[in-house]
Amino acid sequence: MALRSIYRGLKKNNLLSPLCNSCSHLHSHSTSFGYKEVREEEKSQMVGNVFTSVASSYDLMNDLMSGGLHRLWKERLVSKLNPFPGMKHLDVAGGTGDVAFRILESINNVGRRAMRDIHDDNVLDETQIFVCDINPNMLNVGKKRAQERGFGDNKSLVWVEGDAEALKFEDGSMDGYTIAFGIRNVTHIEKALAEAHRVLKRGGRFLCLELSHVELPIFKDLYDYYSFSVIPALGELVAGDRESYQYLVESVRRFPSQEKFAKMIAEAGFDKVEYENLVGGVVAIHSGLKF
Amino acid sequence: MYRSAARRILPAVCRRAGHFRSKASPVRFSAPIIHPAAFSAAAASENARNHKPNNFEASKISSSSSSSSNEGRKPRVTDRPKAHWQEEQARVLQASLRHVPDYSKNDLLIGWDRLLNFIGQISLGWSDAAMIAGAREVGVSPSIVGSFPRKEAALVEFFMDDCLQRLIDIIDLKEDLTNLIPSNRVAKLVRIRLEMQAPYISKWPQALSIQAQPSNIATSFKQRAMLVDEIWHAAGDESTDIDWYVKRTVLGGIYSTTEIYMLTDTSPDFRDTWAFLDERVREAFDLKRRCKR
Repeated sequence: MALRSIYRGLKKNNLLSPLCNSCSHLHSHSTSFGYKEVREEEKSQMVGNVFTSVASSYDLMNDLMSGGLHRLWKERLVSKLNPFPGMKHLDVAGGTGDVAFRILESINNVGRRAMRDIHDDNVLDETQIFVCDINPNMLNVGKKRAQERGFGDNKSLVWVEGDAEALKFEDGSMDGYTIAFGIRNVTHIEKALAEAHRVLKRGGRFLCLELSHVELPIFKDLYDYYSFSVIPALGELVAGDRESYQYLVESVRRFPSQEKFAKMIAEAGFDKVEYENLVGGVVAIHSGLKF
Repeated sequence: MYRSAARRILPAVCRRAGHFRSKASPVRFSAPIIHPAAFSAAAASENARNHKPNNFEASKISSSSSSSSNEGRKPRVTDRPKAHWQEEQARVLQASLRHVPDYSKNDLLIGWDRLLNFIGQISLGWSDAAMIAGAREVGVSPSIVGSFPRKEAALVEFFMDDCLQRLIDIIDLKEDLTNLIPSNRVAKLVRIRLEMQAPYISKWPQALSIQAQPSNIATSFKQRAMLVDEIWHAAGDESTDIDWYVKRTVLGGIYSTTEIYMLTDTSPDFRDTWAFLDERVREAFDLKRRCKR
């Protein structure tokens, strides 16, 4: 309800043009929430509301919107990460645990076990995957899914409630940091990147999976049509919440382009910053190395 | 003495039949060290190894940065801030190479107790397990292994570049090549280069299969082409016509066949391989002479 009134109010004034598409150019007190301009303090509250309301049907909606492709994207992310036994990994905004489960399964994989030596079995117990999310509802859904998959008692999986901009982990304590479809919801992306840089060890990797910009001519139009017409309608039908999914597609458009985001990652102190486009740019995996 | 004792102890602990031949091979490692002709080669290669972190940049094809003191031949673009992570990657790869073979050749000379320690160690081969171990040794998080584009291939390619650089250094140091006739020069250089692979010979088939994979074949072909070019250049080749291509193709063929022959050679010091090599080189030069007429 609050969303609708803000939306109507801002629409009347039509404050900022959509051309200004980077958070860093905005006035210090306001930020983007989809195509709307909102005060910074409000953004995290509003994002919180969005995810509280979508938490229960989050996974179903993901499957419907991406046609099941999101699973492949997450597989690609984990294979790029190349997890190893004894790894300390942090998955931020990983509420429902998709990426964390995949990492755990990859480490415990039987095929890998055949190739290991004796030392690795002791080291396996040191593996720790932290799943951090700002929204407790998403974490609860994740814990339930962990139970269903048999990871309920697994000591390697640790669920932590926390803010990506102010992580409660020590400096240089993580081998890997992933954030899948979460960074565009963060109010200050630079802060989140700086925190990522802080908690990573030397040689640690930063990986970000995010919906990104499509430049291919005809495909771009198809994608736009799909995003603005089909997705909010799906949201209304399945989750009963059109506004949240409208926010989703708008926030994707407002997010910096692949090159710009890569620059931001490099500015945060990462080396060897690269990105890989999947499905022509619908999704991009950015990676960086910390030294 | 080592060989018979090793043959008695090792079969008891090795798990696969294929290991038998590889376990016997450590004994050969002593040969490159004490054999007089190869001694200078080994010493030179040790020196080259010590300069490794600096020289690496010269041979790594994709890198475009350099560190301050290096003796590489190829021109490089200096870009100091960016050089850092590439040096780290090089250090990780260098450390990983130590985890690839069954034994380090030096340890067998040192003593029985070291030998017995190494029996427990399982060779990791050209795999990301070796790279993870290498990363741990250097003090860097093993996550860095994920950042190498084609993991095991990166290790193999690093080794190939490393060997090429060592070969170049040996060529620079040795002046007695001019005393030999061309066919002997070529044979000697190929032999020096193949001897560098001797410590890894038990795992070399794995490296060859990695190099043969479609995604890696372009780089491995390029590296071999560079190697063959280098050998001919050192042997004093000055041809500028179709001969240039013919010579390098023929030498490429000789090198590859000798390399594969070496994989199944069980003679002491790879004697049979060198005999095979000499035969092939002689045949190639005979063929050339016959074609000239």
